[in-house]
Amino acid sequence: MITAIQRLLKVREVPVFLALVLVTVITGIANPQFFSLSGLQDITLGVAVVATLAVAQSFVIVMRHIDLSVGSTIGFSAFLIGYEGSHGVPLWLSIVFGLLLGLAVGALNGFLVAYLKLPSLVVTLSSLYLVRGIFNEVAGGTTVTGEQVSKAISFLGQNYFLGVPYLFVIAFALMLVGGYVMRFYRWARDLYAIGSNPPASSLVGIPVARRTFTAFLITGAISGLAGVSLLARFDTAAANSGTGLELNVVAACVVGGVAIAGGIGTPYGAVIGAVLLQSITLALGALGVPQFWQQAVNGVLLIAAISLDRYLSSRVKPTQIMRVAE
Amino acid sequence: MKNFTFTWDKGIAVLLVLSVVAGSFATPYFANFDNLSFVIQDIGEIALIAFAMTYLIIAGEIDLSVASTLNLSSATIGILFKNGAPMGIAVAGGLLTGLVCGLINGFLVTVVGLQSLAVTIGTLALYRGLCYALLGNNPVNTLPDAWTSLGYSNIPNTFLPYSTILIVVFGALFWILLHYTPIGRRVFAIGINPEAAAFSGIPVAKVKLALFATTGLMAGVAGVVYTLRFASASPDGATGYELAVIAAVLFGGVSIAGGVGTLWGVLTAVLTLGVIRSVLQLVNFDANALVIVSGGLLLISVVVPRATEMIRARRKSNTK
Repeated sequence: MITAIQRLLKVREVPVFLALVLVTVITGIANPQFFSLSGLQDITLGVAVVATLAVAQSFVIVMRHIDLSVGSTIGFSAFLIGYEGSHGVPLWLSIVFGLLLGLAVGALNGFLVAYLKLPSLVVTLSSLYLVRGIFNEVAGGTTVTGEQVSKAISFLGQNYFLGVPYLFVIAFALMLVGGYVMRFYRWARDLYAIGSNPPASSLVGIPVARRTFTAFLITGAISGLAGVSLLARFDTAAANSGTGLELNVVAACVVGGVAIAGGIGTPYGAVIGAVLLQSITLALGALGVPQFWQQAVNGVLLIAAISLDRYLSSRVKPTQIMRVAE
Repeated sequence: MKNFTFTWDKGIAVLLVLSVVAGSFATPYFANFDNLSFVIQDIGEIALIAFAMTYLIIAGEIDLSVASTLNLSSATIGILFKNGAPMGIAVAGGLLTGLVCGLINGFLVTVVGLQSLAVTIGTLALYRGLCYALLGNNPVNTLPDAWTSLGYSNIPNTFLPYSTILIVVFGALFWILLHYTPIGRRVFAIGINPEAAAFSGIPVAKVKLALFATTGLMAGVAGVVYTLRFASASPDGATGYELAVIAAVLFGGVSIAGGVGTLWGVLTAVLTLGVIRSVLQLVNFDANALVIVSGGLLLISVVVPRATEMIRARRKSNTK
């Protein structure tokens, strides 16, 4: 029994989950409305998009890489899907366009990082810029309004499956698939090896470049498809859609135990991290903290999470020196 | 010209000349004093932060929080002035805020031992969040004219804005320190190999802490310039400037891997960025021009050196 508990406590996701329970319970006691069904629905609906992207992001972060371009990609995709839908393109085709956009961005990032061996931070920072710039050029001042959004997509954003928002159901399903793949598929295990020790993983015969490329492609593809979720969530899209989401996504991953130093973490953790951040944001509101403080609190949480992670990992093994360029 | 070798920063200088020439031909509105004054104003904040960021990236670290620091400095000036502090005190408060922000980053990186990338993504959100916490949705627009005119008018009898003085003074200072003093040598040594630098007696952590503090302080200086230039302190100012700064530094030939770079390369890159942006705006590309140009240049500045390196390596192995 005791060993079972000890083993459970060693699972990285458990402390985050406990923090989540703590936050909800304390807030619930202070403000019982937080516990109501609508309170839970607020959290799950609010977190759906970030959770979806966090699952995608965990594929690259375990490789000790990062993809900052997801906010631009998802925004552009949401706009494309909404805009084309309102101009006679069938829904499925517009979603395919969103997916293709995501694949294109993912392929660009992946090629530059995997084959030209450029630092992912710089590459994805530039593609964040480039995609957003092209997006703005295409969108101009156009806004896709609620009436223009396809009925099927609006339905997803406004309805509930057994009390759970459809968008969260999608994120949850993606998390289960992503979690399963990363646990049991060999190529996905390779991603962990690459993140733990890039030169060694290459020496043992892992095709590092191909795996890296694939991971960026997956992240891009999910971000492209997630345009549907973003469009459904807000029922509108314009040139600023998705701006700044990348930071929330990275924060969710790090808080959820997907270490930025690579080699560790799961999609489950990433989603729990996202839910924790969202709960804290809403809890602050429920406790009467002005909304203006929320971003500051998010920043503190991110720093606290990596500090804690650093402290815990320094007790386990000497940490490797990781530099920005890697 | 025997010993002339063509390096990246000389290439940028050529590009600067070319873009000025091309700009003058492309539009009659480019090469006049009003516009040149505008170009210099427009790059002021980016140049000031880029000087310090050059050191930081050469030392193998990075600071993504500079735009938030800039704006927190601006918000501090606004809030102090709004609550009755004299403008001089408010400006000093803004500079101090920048310094403190930099020290916090440096503390988390050098003492706590976290990666600068992750830390400064966190403080990017934190400092920006504090701007909103301080100002809410109420920008401060009532700053005294005597000060704000420094921000948008020119030095008497010239076409140069007042910020030129800051750019020249700090540019010279950072240049001399980086290339002609032991301080600069230490920064390069740390960037090339931090362990070796530590073994050779360089206090690596202290130097890095000082670099983060300097970067914060320069972001504070840029915050003052920004506040005066727009005669306003708002919570959402300077969003995305961190990317423009990093793009300029890398485009100026500083290697993201650390240990390589020159200050004049960075200054040339900042000017080039400003010229290209101005020309694009004048020939009716809209504000996106900034976003696309920064992204494109950032990408070029990492892809081109790597590609040439790979081609050279291939040639070498072929001739063997």
